[in-house]
Amino acid sequence: MGGPSWLAWTFASVVIVVAAYCLTRLLVSWRQHRPSDRRVDAIHVLMGVAMAGMLVPRLRVFWAGGWEVVFAIGAAWFGWLAIREFRGRATVGGRPGHHLQHVLACGAMLYMFLAAATVAKAGGSAMSGMAAGAAHAPTLALVLAFALFGYVIWTADRLSSLAPVAALAARVAPVPAFAGAAAGGGASPATGGEDGHGTPGDDGQAPAAHVRQVPLSPRLAACCEIAMGVTMGYALILML
Amino acid sequence: MASQAADARARAGWPGGIGAVREESWTAPDVRRRLQLVLAGIWLLDGVLQFQAFMFSKGFSQMLGATAAGNPAVVADPISWSAKIIADHPTATDAIFALIQVAIGLGIAWRPARKLALGASVVWALAVWWLGEGLGGVLNGAASPVNGAPGAVIIYALLAVLLWPGRQDRAAPFAAGRFTGATVARLLWLVLWGSLAYLALLPATRAPKALGALVAGMASGQPGWLAGLDDHLGAFLTGNGPAMAVVLAIVLAVVAVSAFLPRPGARAGVMLALATAAFLWLAEGLGGMLAGGGTDPNSGPLLALLALAFWPLASAALPATGQQKPATATQPASPEGT
Repeated sequence: MGGPSWLAWTFASVVIVVAAYCLTRLLVSWRQHRPSDRRVDAIHVLMGVAMAGMLVPRLRVFWAGGWEVVFAIGAAWFGWLAIREFRGRATVGGRPGHHLQHVLACGAMLYMFLAAATVAKAGGSAMSGMAAGAAHAPTLALVLAFALFGYVIWTADRLSSLAPVAALAARVAPVPAFAGAAAGGGASPATGGEDGHGTPGDDGQAPAAHVRQVPLSPRLAACCEIAMGVTMGYALILML
Repeated sequence: MASQAADARARAGWPGGIGAVREESWTAPDVRRRLQLVLAGIWLLDGVLQFQAFMFSKGFSQMLGATAAGNPAVVADPISWSAKIIADHPTATDAIFALIQVAIGLGIAWRPARKLALGASVVWALAVWWLGEGLGGVLNGAASPVNGAPGAVIIYALLAVLLWPGRQDRAAPFAAGRFTGATVARLLWLVLWGSLAYLALLPATRAPKALGALVAGMASGQPGWLAGLDDHLGAFLTGNGPAMAVVLAIVLAVVAVSAFLPRPGARAGVMLALATAAFLWLAEGLGGMLAGGGTDPNSGPLLALLALAFWPLASAALPATGQQKPATATQPASPEGT
C-alpha cells in the first residue's frame, strides 16, 4: 500500500534538496576546479529528481520509460567502472565498493520504475505514485532495501573519518601554476586523480594562479549518500 | 604507518585520493564493530518499516493494545493506556517512533554517537518490550519461540549491552564477552536460549496442532515461495507438533549450554544456533515484512546476530588490562575501531 501523502512529500523534499545540492556541487566543481566525484554528484541529481517524481506524481518530469533507460545506463556505467577498478585500473572513486554502491542504487531505481510500470499496466492504484503492494518481486525489493541500508550504515560508519572542509583548506598547499603539465590530461597531486578533479583550463594549461584545490565537502557528499539510501529504502519497503 | 595510511585512503575512495580522510583517526572495524553495524542496520530497517501506511492507521494501535490480553493488570494497564494515546494521535506518535528507530540506527553507525545510540536503544527496547509486545507474551502463556518469544525487541537490548564499546575491554574468546566478561555473557546466553527451550515445552508450542497452526498462519499474504514453505512446514508440524516441539526444545537447550563448552563445542553450538535462527525466521514468515505491515524482522535475524557475537575468535580479543594491540585487519588501533 502507498504511504501517507505528507510522508511522501517529506521524502520528496529531502531528495530534491539532495539533488539541488549535488547540482550545485557539479557547478562549483566545474567552475572553480575543485575536486569532487562528479559522476556520483550527477547520478544523485538524476536520482533525486526521479525519486521525487516517484514519490509524488505531480513532480514527475520525464516520459514513461525514460527513467528506466537512464538508470539502466547508470547501472551499466558504474558496473563498468567497478570492473575496471577490479582489474587494477584506477578510477575516480577509488575502490570497487564505491562503484558497486551506485550500481546497486541504479539497479534499485530501475527496479522501482519497472515495478511501478507493471502495476500501472495492471490498473493498480496510483494514488501516491507507489506500487500499491503489488510489486513485481517483493522479495527482490526487500533484498535491495537490505543492501541499501547496509551501504547507508557503512557510509555512516566512515563519516567521522572524513575531514571537514576547513581542515582540508588548511591542509592543501598552494599549487604553483605550471605550463603544459596538463596538456596530456595529467593533474598535479594536489588536484587528485582523473577527470572531475581539477581539470585543465580551456587553453590546456593548468588553472593559472589557481593555488588552492580545496575539495568540496566530502562529509556532505556522504550525507547525500545516506539520505538517498534511506529514501530509496523507504520506497522499496512501500513496494512490499 | 605509511601502509596503514595508504590503506585508509584506498578504502575511503575519492575523498582519500585527495587527502580528505583523517588517516590517523580511521581504523577498520573489528568484529565487535561489524556486529554493531549489523545491529544498526536492523534498527534502520525497523525505523523505515515503521513508516509503512499501516502503522499510521488504527490497526497499529489495536495490534499493540491486543498484547495486553492475559497479562497482569500492572503490565496490561500501561499497555492499554499507551495504545489509546497512539490511537488518538496515530500520525504524530508513529512518526516519532519511526524517527527514533532511524536515529538509533544511524547513531550506532556514526562512531561519535555510538554509545549514546546504544544506550538509547536499550531504553527504547525495554519500553517497546513492555508497551508494544506485552513482555513478549511470557506472562500470558502465548509465548512461543516460533512467534518471536521472548520478544524480539528484548534481544536488541541484550545485543546493545553485549556489544557495548567499553573503555577497558576484558579478555574474552568471543566478541560478546569483551564488555561484560565471558562468564556474564555466557550466563546471558544461557538464560535466553534456555528460556526459549522452556517456552518450546509450554502448551502454546507443544499442544497438538499448535505449532502447525502458528507456522501455517504466517503464510497469509506472503509471496508464493514463502507461503508455500510455511504451508508445507505448517502441515508437517500439524501432524507432528508435540514431537517437533520436544525436538526444538532439545535443540534450544543444547544451544544454551554450548557456550560453556570448549572451543570446538562452542563453535558447533553457534552453528546450531544459526541454523535454528534461520528455521525460526522462516517459521515467523520473515517477520511478516513481505506480507506488508511487519514492524520488524522478528527474532530470527537477531538470534543469528547474537550467535555470531559468540563465535569463538582465533585468539583472545584483548588482554585484561585493556591495552590495545597494534592495528590489524580485525583488531582496533583505537577505540574508534570498536
